[in-house]
Amino acid sequence: MNQISEQDVKRLERIAVQIRRNILRMIKVYGKGHLGGAMSAADIVTALYFQIMRIRPEEPKWKDRDRFVLSAGHKCLVLYAALAERGYFNKDLLDTYGAMDSKFPGHPDMHKLPGVETNTGALGHGLSIAGGMALGAKLDGSDVKVYVVMGDGELAEGSNWEAAAACAKYQLENLLVFVDKNELQISGSTKEVMNYDPLPDKWKAFGWAVREIDGHNMREILDVATRFPFEKGKPSVVIAHTVKSKGFSFAEGKASYHYWKVTPEELAQAERDLAEMERRLQ
Amino acid sequence: MEKFADPRETFAEALLEAAKKDSRIVALSADSSSGSGFSPFKKNFPDRHLEFGIMEQGVVGFASGLATMGKIPVVATIATFVTSRPFEMVRNDLGYMRQNVKLVGRCGGITYNDLGPTHHSLEDFAILGTIPGFTLLSPGDPLEIRKATLAMFEHVGPVYMRIGQQPIPFLYEGEYPFQIGKGITMREGKDLTIVATGTVLQKAIAASDLLKKRGIHTRVINIHTLKPIDREILVQAARETGKIVTVEENYLRGGLGSLVAQVVSTEYPVPVRMIGIDDTFVGTGPYEDLLAKFGLQPEQIAETAVTFLRK
Ligand SMILES: Cc1ncc(C[n+]2csc(CCOP(=O)(O)OP(=O)(O)O)c2C)c(N)n1
Ligand SMILES: [Mg+2]
Repeated sequence: MNQISEQDVKRLERIAVQIRRNILRMIKVYGKGHLGGAMSAADIVTALYFQIMRIRPEEPKWKDRDRFVLSAGHKCLVLYAALAERGYFNKDLLDTYGAMDSKFPGHPDMHKLPGVETNTGALGHGLSIAGGMALGAKLDGSDVKVYVVMGDGELAEGSNWEAAAACAKYQLENLLVFVDKNELQISGSTKEVMNYDPLPDKWKAFGWAVREIDGHNMREILDVATRFPFEKGKPSVVIAHTVKSKGFSFAEGKASYHYWKVTPEELAQAERDLAEMERRLQ
Repeated sequence: MEKFADPRETFAEALLEAAKKDSRIVALSADSSSGSGFSPFKKNFPDRHLEFGIMEQGVVGFASGLATMGKIPVVATIATFVTSRPFEMVRNDLGYMRQNVKLVGRCGGITYNDLGPTHHSLEDFAILGTIPGFTLLSPGDPLEIRKATLAMFEHVGPVYMRIGQQPIPFLYEGEYPFQIGKGITMREGKDLTIVATGTVLQKAIAASDLLKKRGIHTRVINIHTLKPIDREILVQAARETGKIVTVEENYLRGGLGSLVAQVVSTEYPVPVRMIGIDDTFVGTGPYEDLLAKFGLQPEQIAETAVTFLRK
């Protein structure tokens, strides 16, 4: 499992482009959507769904599946994109994003779409739910693992830190959290809006084992995801340094693309950017 | 023909107007500033604009503390995140302490149509209405948003005002007197009364106009203040028209219809038919289609009224 070849890394990098393509497909259909946070988490989510997690897309309710919790529910386009690509449902369904009673609401609904584990959208709730899942698995002696993706702006919600303390108390070694540290939220720079740096120190102080990676480096993502718990008796958290809207040249690192209302010129540029990414991976 | 305005921009202008007159007003954001109409305020009064990040519970406590020191704090964000999310803090730190704090919920009801149930707010009035001494405002047209905003800052005590996100039409011809707690008769009629509030007041008025063409004369009452509610105007309507239809973008349980029924059943019992959101999590889709799902479009309201009258 720890032996991941160069070929595997390449394969995953190509899938990550396809995931971004799926995100674009949905936004194109509806004309708008939460772009930035979906794109910054795309490489992490790709690694989880296509290499790391023990899942059965054809049997989404399989009891022993690993669980994925998207705490920052507004990033849902990356989840929809990954589930589609992994074959949980027919990819053409993605085109119903934004339609009446779509299976792809603006925040994920577990009762609408196979593969969605939790209803998120109100920030700061995911870690407690994930903690409950990990604790449940532990109580049952099951080897199920729980993976979480959180936003960095989201960390201002106090409920996260309640959950952080509880996960440490219960020594949830089967829990791996990725903080998608893209340094931005709606109102601008997370450091300026409400600073929570240094994050590694905070998580450590709460009893977690911490790693820092480049959240767009597939090799680094795989390394941490295959080597947790990082310390015995502790939950694990990865501070993933990312770029908001990663992949779209016109939007990278800009708070205003948190929610994107498309223009024809930007759409064309997005297509060109994806094509260029694919070419580089040939 | 009809003129529309963005409720958040309207609120933004009114807030700026109030803030220019009263230097005690401070604006608290939970990473919600630009979307809630704080931008002009922030530009004019950068020192009075306070950004807390995504911490809706903490921000309510800060507002309470600032009020203790003589400030008039206004907290604005997505309606559900300033009501349901910090409910206990709102009850204790604002209600119980009787603080002079103003909460503004934007994108209320299902006006955040495509973002789904976590971002819909259909119970905000019902839950905050249980807090003694809280004033609840639900303006239904742009001019009224302005008037309600100014009145909210004049009023001493905790206030919650909800606005939507979709543009809304101007419903008033010109100036009119706005007073917290005083309902407004928007259309005269004796056959039936339609009582409406907030974002769907426009639908009720359109329904009344449709009914008029069919020879049915409905009175339309705008309840822009859900608490304290105008008992007088409701009892008079019950007495003079005999039947009441209520129209709201809320859960029926604890919403306008419940309040109207409470008033008339104790003071002048008449049949009441309630149109609103029943016991369900509303899905996503185009806003107008979602309203239609719950019978909130003018033709549907008119149809309900006709059936109700015949009974
Ligand atoms: C409780 C709550 N408050 C506010 C919001 C509105 N909101 C949606 S996304 C967002 C910013 C999130 O920033 P961050 O966590 O950094 O996410 P990312 O940068 O990955 O998009 C806010 C304030 C919400 N969804 N939930
Ligand atoms: Mg962020």
